[in-house]
Amino acid sequence: MLSTLASASSPVTAAPPAPLLEVRDLRVHFFVREGVVRAVDGVDFRVNPGETLGIVGESGSGKTVSSMSIMRLVPPPARNVGGQILFEGEDLLAKTPDEMEALRGRRIAMIFQNPATSLNPIYSIGAQLGEILRWHLKLSRAEADARVVELLTLVGISDPATRLRQFPHELSGGMKQRVGIARALLCNPSLVLADEPTTALDVTIQAQILELLADLQARLKMSMVLVTHDMGVVARMAHRITVMYAGRVCESADAATIFNAPQHPYTRALLESMPRIDQSYTGTKRQPLPTIAGRPPNLLNPPPGCRFHDRCPEASAECRRLLPLETTIAPGHSVSCLKRGSEGIAA
Amino acid sequence: MGTARYIARRLIFSLCLIIGVSIILFTMINAIGNPIEVLLAERPGITEEMIQAVTEYYGLHGSVTDRYFTWIWALLRLDFGTSIIYNLPVSEMLVTYGLETLKIQVPAILIALCVSVLISVLAATRQYSRVDFGVIAGAMVGHSLPGFLLGIILILVFSYTLGILPSYGAYSTRNPLWGSDMADALWHMVLPVGMLVFFNCATLTLLLRSSLVDVLRQDFITAARASGLPERRVVFGHALRNAFIPVLTYLGILFGLMLGTAPVTETVFTWPGLGALYIMAIQQLDYPLIMGATMVITVMLVTATLLTDIAYVAIDPRIRLG
Ligand SMILES: Nc1ncnc2c1ncn2[C@@H]1O[C@H](COP(=O)(O)OP(=O)(O)O)[C@@H](O)[C@H]1O
Ligand SMILES: [Mg+2]
Repeated sequence: MLSTLASASSPVTAAPPAPLLEVRDLRVHFFVREGVVRAVDGVDFRVNPGETLGIVGESGSGKTVSSMSIMRLVPPPARNVGGQILFEGEDLLAKTPDEMEALRGRRIAMIFQNPATSLNPIYSIGAQLGEILRWHLKLSRAEADARVVELLTLVGISDPATRLRQFPHELSGGMKQRVGIARALLCNPSLVLADEPTTALDVTIQAQILELLADLQARLKMSMVLVTHDMGVVARMAHRITVMYAGRVCESADAATIFNAPQHPYTRALLESMPRIDQSYTGTKRQPLPTIAGRPPNLLNPPPGCRFHDRCPEASAECRRLLPLETTIAPGHSVSCLKRGSEGIAA
Repeated sequence: MGTARYIARRLIFSLCLIIGVSIILFTMINAIGNPIEVLLAERPGITEEMIQAVTEYYGLHGSVTDRYFTWIWALLRLDFGTSIIYNLPVSEMLVTYGLETLKIQVPAILIALCVSVLISVLAATRQYSRVDFGVIAGAMVGHSLPGFLLGIILILVFSYTLGILPSYGAYSTRNPLWGSDMADALWHMVLPVGMLVFFNCATLTLLLRSSLVDVLRQDFITAARASGLPERRVVFGHALRNAFIPVLTYLGILFGLMLGTAPVTETVFTWPGLGALYIMAIQQLDYPLIMGATMVITVMLVTATLLTDIAYVAIDPRIRLG
């Protein structure tokens, strides 16, 4: 039954295409008074051109920090302490601040979680979106207005010419998120990072926004990183999925593989805790959803071994001692688990 | 509700406020009794008739309501009466002394505004750094330092020890410095303006820095950065404008009380301004002067409050007029 969930399957290609974005061994640590918080500690993932990568994991697993790192916008006391972020073959971590500035909003753009706080309250929609166009593309005021209207129409906002002059507080939550999406698409970026883009919205609006994102992604053939804690969301949206846990990647594969043949015990647990259509909430057979027992480890000086060992049903003595390294078990499918043949290092 | 109607309503409210203050002021001055009797009491050779004559000369006869309306009617014609001590028209004195006060207050507020914006940006963009802590500490000290103390230190250092800046007055009594009236006036302004800048700066920086720190943490700032806007535009265009909203009220009060907050500075530097004049008028019970100055200060404050409210509407679209 899991297969019905993985509706967005990856295009079948003989050789894997050159990725648009490839993150290798990314490490971002928070240097706080109590010590070092290893929020992101050796993360790998890649995004192919024209595909959506879903990054999924419980809250606190390092998804936001990872996506902010791609923008090079992690705030202090966080600091990038290693790895590579290859975007169109160039390492973003080696770029100068000016080069990053020219890239942000233009070739990589971001959609934020909370539309209520991510628009500037004192500027009109036209003013704040137009400013970005005038800055990056040196458009005139009239040209920028025309482009903003075009984008507002694209994201399904009615009467865009009026919206142009309105302020964020005059729009509904869903409408604001549409504006947030329009803002990200202004300069035709090749990569869009969406961090929990529907988490702050009403349930009915969530579906509309996801539909819009999926539609735009397909129509504009853009690449997207969709960060979420919700397996249901990645099921609808993602071509590939990377599962994160406690600052590390557990498993990466195309969506069909993750849903039909998950390998990592954490991926399996996540899928089991997901509400499913077939064992629906209707009727009398209602069962409580299974949840994963226990809590993620403290990332401030985490214990040795696999990060998941104390919640893992399969954990053995070596899982408490050795940190599993990512291993490719099939083309495009990698997993980090000693029980699935991963190599382990003492850490 | 339209902006025009909002402003009209605020105008009417302001007018009521001014009338209210005028009634309270008039009642309190009257509660003292006939000021002529108070002033002339215990002087030898003063007869009842003489007091009667002077009372009538100053228009202090008749019923209280009659006198109030006479006073208001005169005020509307900008006739503030005659100063008892100086024997000059009060309106003329208010203009002369008021301009001297504005001459140091307006530059002081404007300079303080620019300086505190720069310092706040410097501190808030480096939150918890040494620069930031230094700014907070400095602003706290400045905020709590007694006004006269700084004035005296300034005089001791720049006038007494170094001898490079004048310590009192607005003009040289004999020859102007370097034979130029303009240079002479500017030279005399340096210390009092410096002292006012320091105090205004301390408070403005405390308010603006903390407001800016709050704003810089907001999502829309990260979003502006993620849109590729340069840091300069993010801070000055997006953050600072938002950060100013809570500071506007204080800025309004600063402008509104310009004429009323000068006494300490004007006393320390013997500045011929309205603040010093006001203190003197109260000490000597020069009631036309007291009433005139109080009304001018009231009108200033009410006008500044009105302008602040209008500024809020202009800067913050979320404010619902009503
Ligand atoms: N300001 C901070 N100081 C210290 N640690 C932090 C801070 N912000 C985030 N972290 C750490 O980073 C981890 C990952 O955070 P985040 O990327 O926001 O998680 P997610 O987006 O997956 O919910 C958190 O579990 C926390 O330990
Ligand atoms: Mg997050």
